[in-house]
Amino acid sequence: MAAPDRIAFVCPRLAGEGAVGGAETLLKNLALHAAARGVAVDFLTTCAQSHYTWENTLPAGKKRMEGMDVHFFPVDDRDVGTFLSIQQSIDRGRSVSESDELLWLRNGVNSAALLRHLERHAADYRAILLGPYLFGLTWFTALAHPERALLVPCLHDEPFAKLACMKRLFAETAGCLFNSQAERELAGELFGHPDAKSSIVGMGLDPFEADPTAFAKRHGLTAPYVLYSGRREPLKGTPLICDYMQAFRERTGRDVKLVFTGSGNIDAPAALWPHILDAGFVSEEEKHEAMAGAVAFLHPSVNESFGIVLLEAFLAGTPGLVHAKGRVLVSQCKAAGAGLWFRHYPDFETQLLYLLDNPQERAALGRRGRDFVAREYAWPAIERKFFAALDALRPRAT
Amino acid sequence: MSESPILSIGAPGIDVDRLVADLQATVDRKVRDGAYADARVARAEKTNLVNLRGSDDFLTFYLACLRDAVFVDISDFEIRERRRFFGPLLVALKTTLWKLLKFYTYRLWSQQNQVNGLLMTALEGMEEQSAARIAALEKRIVELEKASGHGRS
Repeated sequence: MAAPDRIAFVCPRLAGEGAVGGAETLLKNLALHAAARGVAVDFLTTCAQSHYTWENTLPAGKKRMEGMDVHFFPVDDRDVGTFLSIQQSIDRGRSVSESDELLWLRNGVNSAALLRHLERHAADYRAILLGPYLFGLTWFTALAHPERALLVPCLHDEPFAKLACMKRLFAETAGCLFNSQAERELAGELFGHPDAKSSIVGMGLDPFEADPTAFAKRHGLTAPYVLYSGRREPLKGTPLICDYMQAFRERTGRDVKLVFTGSGNIDAPAALWPHILDAGFVSEEEKHEAMAGAVAFLHPSVNESFGIVLLEAFLAGTPGLVHAKGRVLVSQCKAAGAGLWFRHYPDFETQLLYLLDNPQERAALGRRGRDFVAREYAWPAIERKFFAALDALRPRAT
Repeated sequence: MSESPILSIGAPGIDVDRLVADLQATVDRKVRDGAYADARVARAEKTNLVNLRGSDDFLTFYLACLRDAVFVDISDFEIRERRRFFGPLLVALKTTLWKLLKFYTYRLWSQQNQVNGLLMTALEGMEEQSAARIAALEKRIVELEKASGHGRS
């Protein structure tokens, strides 16, 4: 009997429903493009929108969206205290027993209703694509159906990746779809994950045109600005850019504003607040306009498996300024020839001054980035890689 | 920034590796010249410490920044008020409050500065001692390798 050509995606949140996140965006886009190519797609997710509270804010049930069936399941009740206390130990690099690892996963984000759905319907799916790797939902679902599970792990070099339970997850699932060579190498180093059990896919980006003056006009910005888009939190390095921009303004006397789009609290020195514009959660169009008008797109995170927003900034014609320890982001800047990377504040100051004082060179970097993304990350190329990965890792049974 | 143009972006054969390397070479020279030994740099770098730990010369650089940041500024400062209404009144009130508080906090902050200064000196001393010990050990290893005929060159 032929295996069904229906695939499922499992992700803790659905991007766009008031939720923003790189992994969520990646999985949703892969699902949408698979659906557009005629594959029957079920997108299984939770009713939560906030990655802080994980409160069930969306109604449970099935909804037809853009050619795929999206199933919303409630997040289970959990002991947040237990979860946070174990998470803190892991984050500090302390040794955690395997039973505590399981306790941490159980009290993370889970959905018994989603698991029950898969108990009944897993056989309907040729493959179940899940991610990111560090959620209880991903772990329990993948290990309940390892022969069909293809991880889209969005793996970072962080304490959670070094847990014994994660080694088991990578070992037992059918395969992995990585976003970059750097991520694949990391999985090899951490878990001895064989290249034969993985493919590099990534995410495609549609080219867009954005008016570089529109965002500044709309928000009354008259000074040049640098931009960060995405979740604001210490793990993403947002306090670092606030501290750097405060020092930059004080030391150089240049009036450069710091613009944020996305969600989360901004931890910034009080003196910087009058020079911060927090645009919050904006439309894709407005985000692209903000990118197009920025002197540079700042991406200080050192834990990324794929810099979607960095590639979007390249597409908007804006160079990136990334942390030198962010292996994947640096490799994207190098490959595109469209970004610089800083080790510490002195590098940051010098590089930002360079971009401010050399508009022609900055525009040339931007052009290179735009050409690179349009060439390497066009959706048809990514779709080919995605279906080739599916065929290699979960071949159709005949 | 370097005085001469680093390279021409957009020309065939150029790459950002070279641009970053040139900019970093300029920065390294300026770090050695003390251009970034600045309390503001030390404050800015606090969230980056975890990323810098493995870097060569990190401790020397950070200690140089810290040396300028180590003392709490307890001198008087200009008190301003952004609100238009009652602005002068609020400035007068804040100035009075500062004068009163200064009397109580001066002793505390000056003691804190003493502690900070002593800790800083101790850290610098430890770093110098460690650097000297490592240099002596490296020299000794080279001598021993040469003597045993297992030298690397």
